[in-house]
Amino acid sequence: MTTPEAALTTYKQKLANNRLGLWLFILSDSFVFAALLVTRFYLLGDKRPHLEQELGLIVTSVLLISSFFANRAEVQISKGNRKGFLTSILITMLLGIGFLVGVVGFEWRLAPFGPADGPEGAVFFMMTGMHAFHVLTGVIFLFIVFRNGLKGHYSPEKHWAVEAAANYWHFVDVVWIFFYPALYLIGSL
Amino acid sequence: MQSTKMDELRRGALVFLGLAVLTVVEYYLGTHEAPAIFLWVVALLKAGLVLIYFMHIGRVFRSEGEH
Repeated sequence: MTTPEAALTTYKQKLANNRLGLWLFILSDSFVFAALLVTRFYLLGDKRPHLEQELGLIVTSVLLISSFFANRAEVQISKGNRKGFLTSILITMLLGIGFLVGVVGFEWRLAPFGPADGPEGAVFFMMTGMHAFHVLTGVIFLFIVFRNGLKGHYSPEKHWAVEAAANYWHFVDVVWIFFYPALYLIGSL
Repeated sequence: MQSTKMDELRRGALVFLGLAVLTVVEYYLGTHEAPAIFLWVVALLKAGLVLIYFMHIGRVFRSEGEH
């Protein structure tokens, strides 16, 4: 067996372990978000916070589109299209920043209550704040992958970091898939 | 190889389209006082699509890793 072949075999064995580790992390992190979701219904019950419906739909759409581009980035690098991969990662990052601006820059300011104004404020700011923090770390993760991609660190055979960043990004999207109806749509004002 | 790439890109676009349609349905249900159970079903469908087609959850059960 030649050295590059042996290296690829070792990489594949490590990849299976890395994947398991990432999914275990995602599973443990999801318990935090599940606890916040339960807290929302325990404290607010059938009442939902008064929020901007259109803004909620816009930021949700932005995050969904970003997930599409994260998936596209992974497909592009797996097929050796470096330019397509870099473009898709960049768009994903920009959409992530757009989501942060929408939630933290606009929704937080437009909300008719503050974090200390009873359970409504506490629930809303804790849920969106924890999620926004994960979006921010996801953007940082994507930036590192983008920078390494510019240096040519990834190939169709070896791009674990790209897969990990994309999966983390999709996880953040899945969390919002549950947070969006819980905060904006379920219950009455 | 090229056709496989096109297949994967097309699948990604179809999944995104499905997510977009479900989000519109979700918004309509939520703004028209529909029972919460329908919103949960839509959310579960959306999460399932992302987990299966974007996160490739099936990969984690493979003994040897391949991209």
